[in-house]
Amino acid sequence: MKNRREFFKTVAGAAAGAYIAGRGVPALAQRGQGGGRGGARGGGAAAPRGPRKQISIGGKRVTVIDVHSHCTVDGVAEVVKGTPFERQAGGRALGTDRIDLIDSEGIDIQVLTINGYWWWEIPDRALADRVVRAQNEGLAKWVSDHKDRFVALSSISLQFPDLAAQQLDYGVKQLGLRGATIGGHVNGESLSDPKFDPFWAKANELGVIVFMHPGGADNIVKDTAWKARGDIGNIIGNPLETTYFLSRLIFDGTFDKFPNLKVCGAHGGGYLPSYFQRTEVACDVRGNAMCANKKHPREYLKSNIMADTMVLTDEGLRHLVAEMGVSQVVYGTDNPLNWPVPVEMIVNHSTLTNDEKIQILSGNLMKLLKITTPATA
Amino acid sequence: MSNRREFLKSIAVAAASVGVAGRFTYDVLAQAVAGRRQISIGGKRIKVIDAHAHLSVPAVGAVVKGTPFERNGNAAPNQVIGPERIKAMDALGIDMAVLTQQGAWWYGVPDRELARAVVKTMNEGTAAVVKQYPDRFVGMAAFPMQFPDLAAEALEDGVKRLGLKGGGISAGFLADKEFSAPEFDVFWAKAQELGALLFMHPGGDTGAEAHLRGKGNLGNTVGNPLETTIFLSHLIYDGTLDKFPGVKICCAHAGGFLPSYMGRTDGACVRQPDACSGKKRPVDDYFKTQIMADSMIFREDGLRHMIAEMGVGQVVYGTDMPFPWPVNPDTILNNTLITDAQKEAILGGNLIKLLKLSAT
Repeated sequence: MKNRREFFKTVAGAAAGAYIAGRGVPALAQRGQGGGRGGARGGGAAAPRGPRKQISIGGKRVTVIDVHSHCTVDGVAEVVKGTPFERQAGGRALGTDRIDLIDSEGIDIQVLTINGYWWWEIPDRALADRVVRAQNEGLAKWVSDHKDRFVALSSISLQFPDLAAQQLDYGVKQLGLRGATIGGHVNGESLSDPKFDPFWAKANELGVIVFMHPGGADNIVKDTAWKARGDIGNIIGNPLETTYFLSRLIFDGTFDKFPNLKVCGAHGGGYLPSYFQRTEVACDVRGNAMCANKKHPREYLKSNIMADTMVLTDEGLRHLVAEMGVSQVVYGTDNPLNWPVPVEMIVNHSTLTNDEKIQILSGNLMKLLKITTPATA
Repeated sequence: MSNRREFLKSIAVAAASVGVAGRFTYDVLAQAVAGRRQISIGGKRIKVIDAHAHLSVPAVGAVVKGTPFERNGNAAPNQVIGPERIKAMDALGIDMAVLTQQGAWWYGVPDRELARAVVKTMNEGTAAVVKQYPDRFVGMAAFPMQFPDLAAEALEDGVKRLGLKGGGISAGFLADKEFSAPEFDVFWAKAQELGALLFMHPGGDTGAEAHLRGKGNLGNTVGNPLETTIFLSHLIYDGTLDKFPGVKICCAHAGGFLPSYMGRTDGACVRQPDACSGKKRPVDDYFKTQIMADSMIFREDGLRHMIAEMGVGQVVYGTDMPFPWPVNPDTILNNTLITDAQKEAILGGNLIKLLKLSAT
């Protein structure tokens, strides 16, 4: 419960306003015409309407796809009414302010996911299924109403792995969803546990992206460790949860079992891609590593694992691409939260080539999300 | 205790399993070649200094005999400095190593006098090793952070009386107290006054141990850099490094996650200004001035990235000896992404300046 409170508190905190500090300065300054970031991002006041920003590279219009955004859908409230989960249904409803936001930021297509993952704590299978159904149908409806601008990933009841597989199958085949979103664990259990294989097998079979978003590493570190300045439950907890999650999938052999998996870790994939060396040699040098992986960890990093661009600095992004290969890195904003993630960080990057920028901004995702129409607006 | 036990157990396991553990081993002790390797860059002989080397002092055993810490006093044989260690250094071309006591189990000693006796014995033992091999080692003092005034005293004694070059510190996480708490100011003030370098090495205590078991030895691969990351984050966000701008801390294992993944630390301030009200400078400023890191990043682009983020003056060669990691000086010498001047600074130049060592 604590974590969800933290999660929503964070949303409120973000709404309090943008602050310019240190290395964030140039990034934020470029957001000028977006305006109203604080208010609009909290889901309250309307952002001033501005023209839709269109991104070009080398004189050519390029499509920009944002892999990392958050939302909620209204239909869930009705489903959980009168249950212990009643208070957790909403918070980030989609509306015209979201379209204004992506217009102002130069995002042509946004990948929508619902997280917080509170529904994984629902012990009742039927209720869990109804919640996910409401989420997925709500997402599908929004996407259908705004076809050119959004795609969505399926929520799944991963506490019931067989049900999760069915939901993903239905979501992709019947509702037009493009993949699944998950957290770093389910009620503290590692997703490399064989009990989750039915879900992984389905994602593997469908060849769809799995977007992983952490929730503050509450499965790993006791809450008290995060009671400190710097919002370190988020700043350290989130990349930590992702690092642990990806480490388990590597070392427990999950990627060997399901070699088609494409798992995209939020926030630059946590620490793992940027600080890969320890993971890379663990099986070789640590006597108690008990590695089950069949391939060198580097091979998963360059094929199964993907990451969004949220390392937040020019040099950090250069390094991320150098470590993973450009095919594994995709633009992500964490919309509507307030991070210094303007598209200009990619467009004006100091070392990436134009081709690499285009791959990151949309090329990689168009293939994976099966988006066939480039932006023309 | 479980953490310290785990730590010591893993030392034992690592020592026992070298050569059989991996698909490929990086056994520094087994790489012995005849004679002492001498390393040159561009035809110029350079002095190679290892910032990250472990030692144990057997005399501590007698001090803790009959106490609950008796088992902690058992020195790991491969950490007792003698001809074997010299041979391993010779084989790799390491001219000098900075020795630090690790594990920080003594932070758990509740008795003030016992704690004082433990670190005194450790530091005198370290000084004796340095005296025996003055060309090959310098040492760092141990101190009991659970008694901040005593820690300050032990650091001063180590530096002034015993000629040690600084101190070794672990995060410790004493009863959820962070070292940024004001009660530790007396220690930071002393470190600043002495101008003593601190070498920070995680002690296996993140509060996350139960969840870091399993394949991949995650307690080490993830837990060690995590502990360093939490340690540094508190010192930055709570303003400790602003209060004591003369404090210099060199962190093991490439400084944990932060030097390689620095963006989020200031990103926090954009998102939540209040969270950052305790610090005065942009995060990279701390890394360019007060925080250093060893070179245990292994990967070519990883080292290039650290240098880009911290400046080459903050990065120093480290091996983790006697533990087997791919840390041969060739990993620095053969890096195609950095210059000869950078290699020289990392392999020895930075520490020669900082610790005022002879360049030859």
